[in-house]
Amino acid sequence: MTRLLAAVAALALLASGCSGDDDDLRTGGAGSGGSSSPPTSSASPATPDGGSTKPDLDLAVSEPREDTNYPEVGDPGVDALHYDLALSWTPDTDTLDARETLTFRSTETDDSFQLDFGEPLEVSSVTSRGKDVDFAHQGKDLVVRMPVKKDRRYKVVIEYSGTPEPVDVPVQRSDFNQTGFTITDDHEVWTMQEPWGAHSWYAVNDHPSDKAFYDFTLSVPAPWMGIANGDLLSKEEQDGQTVTRWHLAEPAASYLTTLAFGDYKQTDLTGPRGMPIRIFTPSDEPGTIDGPNLAPAALEWLEKYLGPYPFDTFGIVVVPSNSGMETQTMVTLGNTSYTLSRPVVVHEIAHQWYGDTVTPADWRDLWMNEGMAMYLQAMWESEQSGRPLDITMDEWARSDNELRQYAGPPGDYDPDKWGDDNVYYSAALMWHELRQRVGDDRFFEAVRGWPASQENRSADRETMEQFFEDSTGEELSDFFDDWLLGERTPSRS
Amino acid sequence: MVSEGAVGLSADEIDDLARRAQDGDRDALERVLTEIRPRTLNVCRGVLPYNPDAEDACQEALLNIATKIGSWNRRGRFTTWTHVVAVNSARSTYRRMRNQAVASDALQNDNPDPRTTSVIAGTRLDLLEAMETLEREHPQYVEPLLLRDVYGMAYEEIAEQVGAPLGTVKAQIHHGRKLVRPLLRGSA
Repeated sequence: MTRLLAAVAALALLASGCSGDDDDLRTGGAGSGGSSSPPTSSASPATPDGGSTKPDLDLAVSEPREDTNYPEVGDPGVDALHYDLALSWTPDTDTLDARETLTFRSTETDDSFQLDFGEPLEVSSVTSRGKDVDFAHQGKDLVVRMPVKKDRRYKVVIEYSGTPEPVDVPVQRSDFNQTGFTITDDHEVWTMQEPWGAHSWYAVNDHPSDKAFYDFTLSVPAPWMGIANGDLLSKEEQDGQTVTRWHLAEPAASYLTTLAFGDYKQTDLTGPRGMPIRIFTPSDEPGTIDGPNLAPAALEWLEKYLGPYPFDTFGIVVVPSNSGMETQTMVTLGNTSYTLSRPVVVHEIAHQWYGDTVTPADWRDLWMNEGMAMYLQAMWESEQSGRPLDITMDEWARSDNELRQYAGPPGDYDPDKWGDDNVYYSAALMWHELRQRVGDDRFFEAVRGWPASQENRSADRETMEQFFEDSTGEELSDFFDDWLLGERTPSRS
Repeated sequence: MVSEGAVGLSADEIDDLARRAQDGDRDALERVLTEIRPRTLNVCRGVLPYNPDAEDACQEALLNIATKIGSWNRRGRFTTWTHVVAVNSARSTYRRMRNQAVASDALQNDNPDPRTTSVIAGTRLDLLEAMETLEREHPQYVEPLLLRDVYGMAYEEIAEQVGAPLGTVKAQIHHGRKLVRPLLRGSA
């Protein structure tokens, strides 16, 4: 294990660049290949500055907040800017060895700062500028006893290892009740984080109001490989290990990360404007998978309504889950007939606009994602089947009271029923009603304008409602209140 | 994240799968059971708020759907038919649990949390008990009344489902309501 840890540390050093380690926090350590180890593929298309993949950390400055429904997860004192994660998975022992380099802005002056971090993992060291820093890991909180000043930027290196465990989440759904790091019977790994599984495998401000850049260096015994968000910069075999490097060129909320280790095969497709699409399916999966192959057509269809796809790469990774997740630029789909179906692929790609490029700043506003993704999915299904959308909406309206009764209004849901049908169907029905009220032209102009106006940010419902009022020229306060907060279905047009 | 799966396939596609399942296609049967599981569970949760009870009822419902699929008449939606099977499975789970509860004299807690407490103390206890009473005198009222007042199904759909004229179904629901109302909690 010691040897492995050393290997991980060496990899991490390569990944984070060896020079200027802590001095220039505005640009430092952002996953640029060290000069001794140039990336094998070309640089990310988002950074045309001569092969560097250093992101501009200013773009990851967020206004982190405490969650309305779940204040115990996330800490508004930390504004993470960049996570550089060197992760090594040993299937024989189910052990994750990790070196995390976190760059963050402190939003307050204090004698410590705090991250969310999985209880089963063991931290061996936290260092800053090469010096050990005192820390305490209690429950799911990692408290780092390092004085911080408001608006200063800091970089810390956290080394840890152990067997991660998924965390419980307050859902009443049949497809999952835990999220985060999941180990299969074959010792493969998959993850879905929504709402807060990310801290089961790295130390993180696990809240959607805080976006950050990501770099991953993933190591696992060959022929298995590691998969994460963003662009695959390189894939190499070193001493029997497959080492992959991934770079996410635009900031993401922690619940939109993905991580998988397993035996995968890669299928390349081409999206709009020649954009590369990489589909990762289990190697023993016979033939092609119908839903993921729809990705190019789904992107094209969605662009008609939402404008250009907001990122530079797209991919899908298929994992042994029962759910599907809009993980940023690399959608994670469970290996079931439903979660690999075409409507689900459309739904998760729609989230790249509604959820990923603009993200709810508070879990209270989950409907902002799910309502629109569900509505676009329904539009697509209607187009495919020829069944009028109005009939589907009437059908949804019939069960709407039941959904509100069971889980609460979509904008004020029962915190024990996160992600229930109300945030999907009731909110989708709301958008359909707004469309009837303002007409197609004004409706779709606003729908297209919103993600572009909030690119790479987290926003709350007040900001979104204001945008829709300004864009459509209608006073909509009562409309939104009735639909989002009403105990019963508002009257329909 | 994807929705729980209530609209994984369109109603037409599910009907098509169900027809193939009736004709003996085992793959189609398996697939259609997977497709309808989330919504079947939702139906069970509608009357059994304690999740493990709803899960039990859902299992029973899926078993009943698999073994009795031949009795779906293909006129109404397959999902409507499964809805009815699920309601009946939830009721039979309730009956079984109530009998166990009475046997173990477990009815003590006055203000239980329906999410963490088994069906014997759940919020819809009065409703299910009222249905039991109604069933003794007027068994034909139970199904239409539940479909209308608990699940908000349209009269036409119910009529199609139970195979009775629309007027009859409306009358059954009307009479059923009158009989049940005094049995429900909070009614004057």
